[in-house]
Amino acid sequence: MIARMVKVEIIGPNEHLLETLDLLRELGVFQIEPDITSFVTAGDEEKIRSLNLDEKTVAERIFFEDLKARIDELSACLPQVEVRESYLDPGSVLDSVAATVQRHGVTCREWCRKREALRKELAELSGSAVFLGALEPLLARMGQKSGLDFIGVTIKDPAALDELMRALSRLTEGKFEILTVKAEDGTLIGLITLEQGLADKVRRTLGSQHVPELTFPAALADLPFPEKIRQLRARIAEVNGEIAAIDRELTQFALRWGAIYQGVRRWLAERLALHANMAYLHQTGMCFFIHGWTPGADVTRLRGELGGKFGGAVIVQEKQILEQDLDLVPVTLRNPPYFRPFELFARLLPLPRYASLDPTPFIAICFPLFFGMILGDAGYGLVLMVLALVVAQVCRKRDLVRDAAKILFISSCYTILFGIFYGECFGELGARLLGMEGAFIVERRKAIIPMLYFALSVGMAHITLGLVLGFVTAVKRKTGREAVYKMVSVAVMGCLVVLFLSLTDILPRLLTRPLTLALLVLIPVLFFAGGVLAPLELLKTIGNIVSYARIMAIGLASVLLARVANRFAGMTGNIAVGVLLAVVFHTVNIVLGVFSPTIHALRLHYVEFYSKFVVPGGRKFEPLRKERTTGK
Amino acid sequence: MEKVYVALAAALAVGLSAIATAWAQSKIGAAGAGTLAEKPELSGTVIILVAIPETMVILGFVVAVTILNM
Repeated sequence: MIARMVKVEIIGPNEHLLETLDLLRELGVFQIEPDITSFVTAGDEEKIRSLNLDEKTVAERIFFEDLKARIDELSACLPQVEVRESYLDPGSVLDSVAATVQRHGVTCREWCRKREALRKELAELSGSAVFLGALEPLLARMGQKSGLDFIGVTIKDPAALDELMRALSRLTEGKFEILTVKAEDGTLIGLITLEQGLADKVRRTLGSQHVPELTFPAALADLPFPEKIRQLRARIAEVNGEIAAIDRELTQFALRWGAIYQGVRRWLAERLALHANMAYLHQTGMCFFIHGWTPGADVTRLRGELGGKFGGAVIVQEKQILEQDLDLVPVTLRNPPYFRPFELFARLLPLPRYASLDPTPFIAICFPLFFGMILGDAGYGLVLMVLALVVAQVCRKRDLVRDAAKILFISSCYTILFGIFYGECFGELGARLLGMEGAFIVERRKAIIPMLYFALSVGMAHITLGLVLGFVTAVKRKTGREAVYKMVSVAVMGCLVVLFLSLTDILPRLLTRPLTLALLVLIPVLFFAGGVLAPLELLKTIGNIVSYARIMAIGLASVLLARVANRFAGMTGNIAVGVLLAVVFHTVNIVLGVFSPTIHALRLHYVEFYSKFVVPGGRKFEPLRKERTTGK
Repeated sequence: MEKVYVALAAALAVGLSAIATAWAQSKIGAAGAGTLAEKPELSGTVIILVAIPETMVILGFVVAVTILNM
């Protein structure tokens, strides 16, 4: 349900302002309201003004922001390491930290710059190393013949190799040799061996033909090919060593100074958050005013904490929530433990407004019921129950997954219950083997029309509940005309259903005349309360009820799939293969059996049910709160 | 011959509505996937939008069942 909120004004002497804000952040139960129009009584507006920060506070804020930016800049250079907790009081070491952060920043930035340059060089060298790895065996095959030169080329298209060989033959009059090999990354590498006098001519021609020659760092340009390889390998090892040395330095630095800098940074972030909140505060010559909202259950605690800390100098006043405030009041949901996991579904849509109803309790009751009605198989229910328990146990620290597992557990209980009603356990086969036939209330596979009526009856009950809740919401929001419209809609829907039943001789025909007369009276009232579109809304409501037929339709699909699984397994004629097939088919059916009923039960709530009473657009309750920090 | 017409009518009721649903869901699903890429917080709305056209095939199915049971 939506928690009751209290409109609160906190008043105290100006000197306690920062401490008050700090305590409010510590408590985490108070949301500041920037718009104070409804908080200040007429005539008092001129006496209260927005908080003006004095010169000292502004200078302090600039200093904090600058110091935090410097620490952030320094932290960006450092590796993420576990650091001890600092026991220094950050407030007392600010000046020393401001002095050292500058010096440390220069040192660390220089290390980072050097490491970046080395990494760039390493990337370049590694690129060449890929080709060298491929060329080395070719060079070994050529041997150390004097008077020869080597040109390494990359050949992007293997089809171009013939053309390259023709060009080389023409340039060198056949005095060349080319060996090719694939590099690690799949590129085709060629090593051209030719007389030294011809090398320059060939290089020029290759350049003009856009055949890329393997390039090496400038420092190695004048070295012979085999020497290039040796030097390159040595440099790669050297660069790796230098990078590792810088990393070690940075890690040691982070271990030594990280705790202090992180402690100071947290303190600065807290202080700056307090300064940021000051923009929404107000004051007179001597007092400050903080206006906002707090949950009704926390008002006594808030009053006690503030009174206790400041000896009654800071007081908390409750103010009356006016009608024009209703859309401003922030919304927070507080439900009993059974309903709480279902807030997950409520959070998927915008929050309801304060003066409306929280749909969570209704979805908590109806969702598992619909899920069970659709899936309705004791065997599948048991599997899902075990799955939910396992997931809840494995992921007990992840709130979202744990809530989902709880919902699945409750839904699986209803699935088992309806499975017994329908006499289904892994389809009708398992039920027969377990002797569950006696438990039949209705056999879904055969009783299609009765199941359809059942689904529509459920729809009628659910939609009527929605309309009644709509009436309650309209009364809460003091919109009388809408309240009348909702109640008349309920009456019209009831009359239409009874009329249908009496026309089909399920109820006495005698009822048709008074019902027709009642409808003739109610429909003009419906027009009056709901406007000209009221009949269309009525048709929409009837459509909403018919939509509940999906409970029967999807349930029937599920039971038929289970039957197919059993039939297939039986047709194999081999026990092992049959069991394997049955397991595969039933697994697929269970997966479908989780998704399909979930989506459709949700849709029935979101589209058909919510539209009758939920007023979206609620403001989320976001109290002042300290950041949760770890000891990293 | 009458049975053939009844079966054909039921098949058309469920088949045509299934095609319509599939077409509508393909369009909404593609747009929904694009929406979620930019605004993941709209997942609830997208689920609703994707599930809305399914009413057509479910009603088609109900009509088909009613025809077959007439």
